[in-house]
Amino acid sequence: MARKLIDEGFTLVRPLAGGLDAWVDAGYEVEKHHE
Amino acid sequence: MALNVFLEQIGAPIPAVPTLIVAGALTRSGHVSVTAIVAWSIAASLVADWFWFLLGRRYGYRILRTLCRISLSPDSCVRDTEANFERWGMKSLLVAKFIPGFSTVAPPLAGAGGRSTVEFLIYDGLGAAIWAGAAVAIGRAFHRAIHVVLQRIEDLGGWALLFLGCLLALVIIFKWWQRRRFILLLRMSRITVDELKALFDAGESPVVLDVRTASAVKHDPRRIPTAIVADQEQIEERVRDLKPDAEIILYCT
Repeated sequence: MARKLIDEGFTLVRPLAGGLDAWVDAGYEVEKHHE
Repeated sequence: MALNVFLEQIGAPIPAVPTLIVAGALTRSGHVSVTAIVAWSIAASLVADWFWFLLGRRYGYRILRTLCRISLSPDSCVRDTEANFERWGMKSLLVAKFIPGFSTVAPPLAGAGGRSTVEFLIYDGLGAAIWAGAAVAIGRAFHRAIHVVLQRIEDLGGWALLFLGCLLALVIIFKWWQRRRFILLLRMSRITVDELKALFDAGESPVVLDVRTASAVKHDPRRIPTAIVADQEQIEERVRDLKPDAEIILYCT
């Protein structure tokens, strides 16, 4: 996915290490997604 | 030669300066006139630059990303260029040709920034004149050395063509390799959660994309603040109008 964006010409694409789980585990704020 | 200038300005990774310098040396022996060279260079630059200017005006920042791909120089491509352009405005077009990367990116930037066409053509034309003039002047100054080199090339005949072809191929391969390395570097660079938090705390607003699958999102409706939830198909739509140097952070589960 990140690679695809880079191929699209974006120069500053970074995946988040550990993903959402790491974010939650670190105790940082999350918001609820409603759709 | 005009074709060479045109190709470089349109974004092909083929440098035009060597051709201009040789042409400059030839003016010494009266084969070609300085005016003709400079005039053709200006004309060729204007046509190519104007083309990018119009595309920039029409498609905005999207076109810059396309351009970055063709020119194979993503490092110099956008970020610095834009900062410089914003600082110096149209005057940056005067020197743009001397700076690799900048020369092709400046015209569409001017277009995307909604600058006036007349102003653009005047500054761009002046810039092309300064650039071509300088290259020709160098050629005239060093005409003896250049004639020796040309003589050698003539003596070599077909081999010389082959040699120049190889040289050009090497330049292209080198640029391609540079780009590849750059992409690899990017691919390996991940951002940690702490770094992302620090970004938010610093008041930055990176584009955060939640690229989990739809079912994963349903299963866990939490998300990182400001994140845009978008699956693979929607992503393209979401990022279409972003600047090429927008900071993008992706995360999955």
